[in-house]
Amino acid sequence: MAPPAIKRRKLSHTPSDGDTSDGSEQSGFPSEEEHDSADDLEGVSDDSGMEDASSNDEDEEMEEDIESEPVSPIAKEKLAVKPAAKVPEKQKATAEKPKPRHTQPSDALTGTGYTGEVFRSNMFKLQVDELLEQVRPKHGKKEAAVERVLRALKTIIEQIPARDPTSVVEAEKALLKKDRIAVPFPNPRPAEDAKYKLAYSKPAQVSVAGSYPLKTTTGSSSDLVLDIIVTMPQDIFQEKDYMNFRYFYKRAFYLACLAAGIKANKQHAFDLKFDYLHGNRLLPILVVTPDEKDAGFKVVILPAVLKNVFPVEKLLPTVNCVRPKVLGEEKDEPLRPTPFYNASIRVDSLALAYLKLQHDAAKQCEAYKDACVLGRIWLRQRGFSGRMRNGGFGNFEWGVLIALLLQGGGPKGMPAFSPGYSSYQLFKATLQYLATKDFVKNPQVVGGSLALPQEKGPVFFDVTRSSNVLFKMSPWSYKLLQYEARTAVAMLSDSVFDHFDATFIMRVDQPLYRYDTIVEIPVLSLVPVAEREMLEERLSSRCQELYTTLTRGLGDRVKLIQLHMPEEENWALGTRAHAISNDSKVMIGFVVDAASYNRTVDHGPAAENKKEAASFRKFWGEKAELRRFKDGSILESLVWSTKEGSSIFRQIISYLVERHFGKDAAADMSYTGDQETKLVPSAGQPAGIAPFHPIMMAFQALEKDLRALEELPLQIRHILPASPELSYSSVEIPFIPGRTRMTIPADVILQFESSARWPDDLAAIQGTKIAFLLNLATELEAHAAGMTARVGLENETASLQNQSFLDVIYPTGAAFRLRLLHDREPTLLTRRLKDKTLSQSVKTAAAAALAAFKRTFVHLPAHTQAIQTLATRFPALSTAMRLFKRWIAAHRLAPHIAPQAAELLAARAFAAPYPWPVPSTGTTGFLRTLAFVARWDWRVEPWIVDLSVGGGPGVEGGFDAQAVQAARLRFEAWRKVDPGMNRVVWFLGSSVDGEGVAWTEGRVPKVVAGRVRALAKAAVGVINDRERDVGTLFGGSVTEYDFVIRLADVGDKGKRKEKEKFKNLAQQAGEEDVGYDPLGAFADEIQRLFGHAAVFFWDADRRDCIAGLWNPLQEERAWKLKLDYSTVPVEKGEGVVARINREGILNEIARLGGGLVKKVDVKGK
Amino acid sequence: MPSHIPAKIQNLHILPLSLPTVPSCPYAATHYLYLRPDAPPPDAEPTPDTARSLFLANLPIDADESTLRRLFKSLAAVTIERVEFPLAEGEVEEEDTGVVVVQGTEVPLSGRGRKRKRGQSGQVKGDGASLPRLWEGEQIRGSGGQAVVVCVDRDSADAVIKAVKRLIKQGGKAEWKGRDDLGETRYRSHHRLTYPPRALLQSRVNNYLAHFATLEAARAKMLAKQRQVPDEDGFITVTRGGRSGPARLEEAQAAQERLKEREKKRAGGDFYRFQTREGRKRKEMELKENFERDAKRVREMREKRGKLRPE
Repeated sequence: MAPPAIKRRKLSHTPSDGDTSDGSEQSGFPSEEEHDSADDLEGVSDDSGMEDASSNDEDEEMEEDIESEPVSPIAKEKLAVKPAAKVPEKQKATAEKPKPRHTQPSDALTGTGYTGEVFRSNMFKLQVDELLEQVRPKHGKKEAAVERVLRALKTIIEQIPARDPTSVVEAEKALLKKDRIAVPFPNPRPAEDAKYKLAYSKPAQVSVAGSYPLKTTTGSSSDLVLDIIVTMPQDIFQEKDYMNFRYFYKRAFYLACLAAGIKANKQHAFDLKFDYLHGNRLLPILVVTPDEKDAGFKVVILPAVLKNVFPVEKLLPTVNCVRPKVLGEEKDEPLRPTPFYNASIRVDSLALAYLKLQHDAAKQCEAYKDACVLGRIWLRQRGFSGRMRNGGFGNFEWGVLIALLLQGGGPKGMPAFSPGYSSYQLFKATLQYLATKDFVKNPQVVGGSLALPQEKGPVFFDVTRSSNVLFKMSPWSYKLLQYEARTAVAMLSDSVFDHFDATFIMRVDQPLYRYDTIVEIPVLSLVPVAEREMLEERLSSRCQELYTTLTRGLGDRVKLIQLHMPEEENWALGTRAHAISNDSKVMIGFVVDAASYNRTVDHGPAAENKKEAASFRKFWGEKAELRRFKDGSILESLVWSTKEGSSIFRQIISYLVERHFGKDAAADMSYTGDQETKLVPSAGQPAGIAPFHPIMMAFQALEKDLRALEELPLQIRHILPASPELSYSSVEIPFIPGRTRMTIPADVILQFESSARWPDDLAAIQGTKIAFLLNLATELEAHAAGMTARVGLENETASLQNQSFLDVIYPTGAAFRLRLLHDREPTLLTRRLKDKTLSQSVKTAAAAALAAFKRTFVHLPAHTQAIQTLATRFPALSTAMRLFKRWIAAHRLAPHIAPQAAELLAARAFAAPYPWPVPSTGTTGFLRTLAFVARWDWRVEPWIVDLSVGGGPGVEGGFDAQAVQAARLRFEAWRKVDPGMNRVVWFLGSSVDGEGVAWTEGRVPKVVAGRVRALAKAAVGVINDRERDVGTLFGGSVTEYDFVIRLADVGDKGKRKEKEKFKNLAQQAGEEDVGYDPLGAFADEIQRLFGHAAVFFWDADRRDCIAGLWNPLQEERAWKLKLDYSTVPVEKGEGVVARINREGILNEIARLGGGLVKKVDVKGK
Repeated sequence: MPSHIPAKIQNLHILPLSLPTVPSCPYAATHYLYLRPDAPPPDAEPTPDTARSLFLANLPIDADESTLRRLFKSLAAVTIERVEFPLAEGEVEEEDTGVVVVQGTEVPLSGRGRKRKRGQSGQVKGDGASLPRLWEGEQIRGSGGQAVVVCVDRDSADAVIKAVKRLIKQGGKAEWKGRDDLGETRYRSHHRLTYPPRALLQSRVNNYLAHFATLEAARAKMLAKQRQVPDEDGFITVTRGGRSGPARLEEAQAAQERLKEREKKRAGGDFYRFQTREGRKRKEMELKENFERDAKRVREMREKRGKLRPE
């Protein structure tokens, strides 16, 4: 649909026309369209001629601009020195294009400017505006303090006395003795006998850079950080200083001298610390915390070098600058390039150049600053920052990336982005650029052409400034960035929901939500003892090895492997650098592939392929074996055992770490993952839908048996599953052939073909149903030997509701409960509702019957079907739903929350998983469900899930924005009708039920809804506290309840205990008992009888007790005759009040339960 | 605190009942029963039974005919004729008016029945056609329920009131002997009763359906008669069930919908210029409305959630 719209826009450039016609049609915009439009714009601007000013003019403008900035005194004089003429003419052409339609704010008034691709939707745009408003720092208060500190520092720095060149040893000694400052030399330390001298003289210039002068800082993030760039004078360097760390030694010394100078100053008592620039161990920096109290900002002093000191071509990523110590021996082999080292020198000379670049971009493109702020928030929520351990991709890289792509990076060197983009478009386009390009495989070169070889990490090379913007990124952090960008693009392209919260508000970097499996290895067991001297340097190379090994070993079992280096700290001036403490750990997070991560057999290369086979053997050692497969191929392969007690995934990681990093590392490794196996029963099967295979087979058998019946008066039209057991979502595995029988039959709905011979009377329909079922029972028993079929009755007191069912019990132990659906019933019931001659009580009964009919015969089968399809689509969904239900049951909330409601809550983490992608394991899905539930304010928001994601077979239609809108309106209507939330508290809409109250109307009381949220919040808190054991979330105590009814071991529960001891005993349980559940019936009955007086909580799985809380409203109220609970009339003042008769009610409960109740405990007694 | 408990509230006597203790809950517990002579609802005429009836409220859950009989016997050695309970939720009250509604048509029946307590399987019931019971004994009613007890005569009703007054004056308690068929056995028997023997069920259903068939035949006959016989004014009633039965209401509605749909299609689209123009205008308006609605929603969200801040 996109291309025609684009064409039209290109032809007619008037803003009024295009907007209304195509604005509303496209909400998301795919990548092609973007590039197309960029191209189109290019064409337009060529025709219309260039409007931009000459470079000189721009410089002047720039100067003025800077002057108006808060930190002008320093920035101004220095920036003015820098000519901007370096920008090639060709790129200039793209600047300042006439582009009226995107940038006109007046469109906002008509609403047209916000729709379509410019912004996702009104809601999104409005929220983005509000967010930007919120995070924008309030300039004013801090400004004066900032300026004062900056001025003071500048004066101090300019007055630091020069130091004569001295040898390395002496220079270091002098500083240590006199100023108590340890020079932060990088490793390897300079040789003692080095010939070069270290010196200090007045800096060439002092200026301010970073996001503060660019005004792209956010108020919300932690303290404000200001960058002071101290450019070192040229005279202390020699031409060859870029070789063999000499530049870094001199730089470290210079920094130490600056520190000494600031420390010696008596006027200000600054707090000084050394740190590494973004964790780069070659570049120490000085962090200054002002002495003023609560200044709320820090100043970072970065030494820099003038850009013409070292030849640019010597510092290209392809050049080697660190020569091996012993020359001569390896002469044949070409020296390996040192891209990281080279880039570290380059980056020191480029700070101001990039400041200029970003300034230009901000001038050229109105939305640039906002896009930077949006990017900054997005990155922060995902844990990215410029520090190398946090990925090496921060605000600076983000801003520079956009700025560069506004100038180039597109096809044929054209700009990839147009300056007319809105902030949202820039934001999304940048994400799309990151998501679709692979900078590792295809190094990107912007602003010129240069052949660059592939490196380990990503390359985004800015030719103009000759530097790789992404040089700090590790291969894994780049993968993570891509992964997050892809997720973000997917969620921004969702046409139904706008994921504003997921994009900007939610935090995504909590490891237990992000990763399926987490492994931690202590730093010391990774680095061999001999190499601990240079722990930090060795650690990064060991991590590289670890990453390569794991990537190769795990192959397609994982989608993402992420290494997190230990925390770093800055250190005091007088001590030697020790950024990593010895007891810290490297954390490795894995996002697994749901389908393959526990695969038992890995196929390697074919045996004939000698070279690869040898490498495979070398990598895997004794684990590799040669096998012949069914198709005749002979392959190197690996076979993993499922019986080892730990999962295959864990075995592989342990094996790899042990083989390549030694026994210690493997022994000290801690593993978090596969927790679901301990929390929900799996019957020895791998988690997922496999444990449900037997019941599904049994259901198919039932279907076959029913369809095979020939003597039926009517043909069967539908056989619909209608229970959690048949949608992979019951906590217990319903049925394991040969081991357990089903005690509760699974519900099935049966519909016959339509016939005119059904009576047109509600009571007669129920009678006919019984006759049908009796007939069916006889036929079935005659058809299949050993099968028991018996007709049962239900709803004795509600004659309008379904009266009968048929239990079918197979000799294997599978049991089903069939109910007949007759589609005439709702019509007759509705007619009753509308009949004005009938009494109110009849109408109430009809309404109740209609609701029951819809629930049992319409919503339940549709829901079951949808969940079934979804569970086969997402292998982890089944386990996630079961875990979530288990969690609800563990907190004794299950009687108030229909299983279907729990399924809808859990399905959200899969159907609309953002900000994360679809979870691959049950535990991850469960934890994210908790996170979503904790955030859900059910008072003001509906919960809407699209169960038809991707539209599997059997799922009718999809979900579109209109359906969501309709559901929303219905929710708002409910809140208007029932503002006290007495009937509907949770609104759970789905693609199969837009009405949203089928499972919650009159069921979930406010107290339960509030408790679920509070518990979910508590769970999220526990997880955020780095708790790794998910099992702790399932603990619940009964101390907080008013009374506890302890249950005796009877019926099913007793049997279950036996079952655990003797698996074969259960097999003998009689068919008579199928469906017999006295404790369940008792719990239901007291809920019915005393539900007005107290709220009951019980765990239907454990069946140990029923806990209760008295309803505080019923404590004491004005006496009246008709109250729904036992009362004590008490004289109070003038009148009489009715108090709840607690002892009486407990006595009644105890008598009702008889032998089922072991003891009634009352709080405080 | 018995001193705080009044003897009477409005016109109700308050009769304390001591509940039997059970091993699982060995605390003494008292229940308070409200009791007065029955009176008809304000807008109704008293029935012949009213004078000898007592109205009871705040009943224990296991109150049924036999337990109340026992209570009254112990109170004043009075026998009860019957107990009437109100209908539970979902129950339908049917009064046998001699007319049965079959397939939406009223069919007069010969013979009158009296008011039934429970409509077990709809309106039509022949002998042995009702469904088997699922619970042994009376149904357990909700906490704090009400009932009307009809005594054999007026004197015994008065005697009960007198005995209650005396007991209250003495500060004594009546003993409540609950039902003894509670507990697991009750659930067990319910489970057994849920699956009635197939033969029994079959015969009941057959009886019922046969009865229904006769009723239907009667109905058909009646309708046929109505079709043929003009009434007093000389009109012939239009009834269901002619040669080609009248269309169902739902079908008629569906047909109407379809027609409307077709109408819309015929004149719709953007055939004329004014249609395009109007369409565009409408769209613009829609966008504007949407925008305003969204703006309002964002405003509301801000009010409810506070400021928007990344976590």
